[in-house]
Amino acid sequence: MVAGSAQVRRVVELAGDEAARFGHRYLGPEHLLLGMLRDSGGPAATILQAQGVDLEAARAALGRLVERGVVPGPRPSDAELLGSLGIDLEAVRRRTERAFGAQALGWATREATRARRRGVGRVPRTPLQDPPLLATQALYLAHERARTLGRQLGAELLLLGVLDDITTPWPRCYNNRWMRQLHASVGLAEGYRGVVGPLLAALGADPGGLRDAVLAALGGDLQQGRSGR
Amino acid sequence: MGETASDEVRAVAEATGSQDPEVGLAAVAALRGLVEVLEALQVERARAKGWSWPQVAARLGVSKQAVHKKYAGRRFGLGR
Repeated sequence: MVAGSAQVRRVVELAGDEAARFGHRYLGPEHLLLGMLRDSGGPAATILQAQGVDLEAARAALGRLVERGVVPGPRPSDAELLGSLGIDLEAVRRRTERAFGAQALGWATREATRARRRGVGRVPRTPLQDPPLLATQALYLAHERARTLGRQLGAELLLLGVLDDITTPWPRCYNNRWMRQLHASVGLAEGYRGVVGPLLAALGADPGGLRDAVLAALGGDLQQGRSGR
Repeated sequence: MGETASDEVRAVAEATGSQDPEVGLAAVAALRGLVEVLEALQVERARAKGWSWPQVAARLGVSKQAVHKKYAGRRFGLGR
């Protein structure tokens, strides 16, 4: 689902776990932050912990944001929803994949959610997909940082991307009818742009200080790398 | 691990069933998402086997214009 090193893929996978734990049916930058903290001993977790952000406190803070209605509370998954109608989603997926192949299934999923299919049966998402990834700008910013610093994308750069995302407005392409429908379909309020900012504020952590800490850690790494050569 | 919220949700869904519009409507939306994917797959296969648009439309119970508007020019493995 997300390109990058094994470390980044692990963080994204753990982020998915954290989203499911909250009953969230989307993957936002706040889940990425929890995913980094889950990866204990990882570079991002080490930096965050040094700044006084730990997993339990972050989970509690996100829980408070749920109570305040900033992010949605637990919602049933597609498998549970279809199960309430007596449909076994896994069985449908298995049989469809056997009959048509994984490649055709992937094509049909893109086709059903395709932007150009205006008004004729387009759906914002299908139960055969992963939960929508609403952290694409954070990932993009992480890639940009990796490029400018001349490094491979790792967890610490992902953290940098998530922090940059707080202060960078999402591009206008996020504010179209389909994106709004997608946000609404997972229970997010209109204007959701990630809640890492409020989350860090609730934890009493300063995004600027965190960013400096990441850059300092990266700078140290870079110097060590140079002297080693 | 991580199943606590899910268990809670399942319990709520089972207790209220489709009586609750919140759950019922979301279930319908999920079903529609599934239907659109299955329809695209079946239409694609029928077309690959040489079925005409009117034949496909008749089986789906819609007009041939409707199915053509929705699927023409979007063949799997072609024109992408």
